[in-house]
Amino acid sequence: MRPAFLLGEVANGLRRNTSMFVSVVLVTMVSLFFLGSGLLAQQQVDTAKGYWYDKVQVSVYLCTADSADVSACAAGAATAQQRDQVRSDLDGLDPLVENYWFESNEEAYERFQDQFRNSAVVENIPQESIPESFRVQLADPQKYEVVAAAFDGAPGVESVEDQRELVDKLFAFLNVVSVASVALAGAMVICSVVLISTTIRLTAWSRRRETGIMRLVGASAFTIHAPFVVETVIATMLGAALAIGLLWAMVSYGVSGFLTELLAGESGLVALVGAADVWLISPLLLAGAVALAVVTSWLALRRYVQV
Amino acid sequence: MIAFEEVSVRYAKGGAWALRDVTVEVGRGEFVFVVGPSGSGKSTMLRLVILERPATVGRVRVAGHDLTRMSPRRVPVLRRQVGTVFQDFRLLAGKTVHQNVAYVLQVLGTKRHEIRHTVPETLELVGLQDKAKRLPHELSGGEQQRVAIARAMVNKPKVLLADEPTGNLDPQTSREIVGILDRINRTGTTVVMATHDTYIVDTFRKRVVQLRDGVIVRDQADGEYAPLDLEVLNSRMPEPEGVALR
Repeated sequence: MRPAFLLGEVANGLRRNTSMFVSVVLVTMVSLFFLGSGLLAQQQVDTAKGYWYDKVQVSVYLCTADSADVSACAAGAATAQQRDQVRSDLDGLDPLVENYWFESNEEAYERFQDQFRNSAVVENIPQESIPESFRVQLADPQKYEVVAAAFDGAPGVESVEDQRELVDKLFAFLNVVSVASVALAGAMVICSVVLISTTIRLTAWSRRRETGIMRLVGASAFTIHAPFVVETVIATMLGAALAIGLLWAMVSYGVSGFLTELLAGESGLVALVGAADVWLISPLLLAGAVALAVVTSWLALRRYVQV
Repeated sequence: MIAFEEVSVRYAKGGAWALRDVTVEVGRGEFVFVVGPSGSGKSTMLRLVILERPATVGRVRVAGHDLTRMSPRRVPVLRRQVGTVFQDFRLLAGKTVHQNVAYVLQVLGTKRHEIRHTVPETLELVGLQDKAKRLPHELSGGEQQRVAIARAMVNKPKVLLADEPTGNLDPQTSREIVGILDRINRTGTTVVMATHDTYIVDTFRKRVVQLRDGVIVRDQADGEYAPLDLEVLNSRMPEPEGVALR
């Protein structure tokens, strides 16, 4: 069978079954869009994790005037002496501590005001209640326990917080989004499989005379099946291309545009997925589309097109 | 060319036998009428030759292939050596006469320039060289059947099977069609034609293999259709619908 003849048969098939073709394209698009979103959410977790873990890991909060309920703060707000003690202790932990910096009450309050600028909470919390802190970056984030033990309960230290616990909550949320997207994608893939096999069944019926003649004159199974497979591959690849386009639009206008602007200047959560990440998963989506088409049509043809 | 050795066929386990213990041989270049009423097993015999279904018991050999042991991959090779014509023509309605015949060669991957001269040659064989650009619905029944014959012959098969090719045609046209088959036969192609058309069988005087209830009841050179009185009676009895080749 020559390629020109194959293409002619394919074009004929598409003309005869346009509506089914369009529905296969759309269902594939939606399922791959969800799959892509899941993958991007996962990538977002990885990107943000690296970004966050490189930054703040442990915060050592110093006592404020309001924290008398903590035993180490019974004497009221941390004194300059206590602060210097913590600083020199941090210097002493040299191999464990990569880097640290001090956030003064003014800086902390400014950041707090900025973060909650849309909330009434700012009015109700006096500047004195915002604790000063040491932001500590560890050489090995896993060694958090050692650092925590060194400062927990030290005079003038209200609490030691592993910041990763906070961002981990965000990551847990993103993971749920990712898993949900992939689960939806799974459901949609089942839809695609059913729809593709139904389409092939209908196409096979509308083309039964041609396939009958092909069989009768001794066409190979490959020749008889090829037009069906090629049509399905074209439909799913078109769907994949549209899905990639949608993901790209979502990332460039939604995430990179809107979200970045929203988060700019805040906690520094600017490490977001970008168009490059979409291109990264594109080959995967295309390969998935082709695999979906080939496997499904092979199964459907075995069932509906006798050779 | 075609040999049946003690072949029996039934379509369902425990069902009735469509063919029973059939042994018959058709030599190279022979012309054979397979006759009998509907449901007597004519179509089943033809279906076995192109391995549309296997024999339940026994062995079928066609053009050197042992069909009992043929792998599914080899079936197309067999079918390329056997042309088939049906009562209902089975032309592709959207394609012209030329395209219908060329379709076979396109499917089999024949080169374009070869198709360009083989198709007109084949149309000439059936006398349709002037109607190459017509669509099937513009042709008479006889002409449509000629297109079907051209399509079956364009690949130059060794065997031509015809399953009731004159079933939809008037006696005059039927005679023309069988005349064409006869001409094809004279060029060396083995022809097996299933029919219950007494007039045709009696006119052409070929070898006749007669079936009744799946059993060969007569195999006669230069035979007529109905030397058995019972046969006429049988053919008028209501019979279950025969199983046609799909």
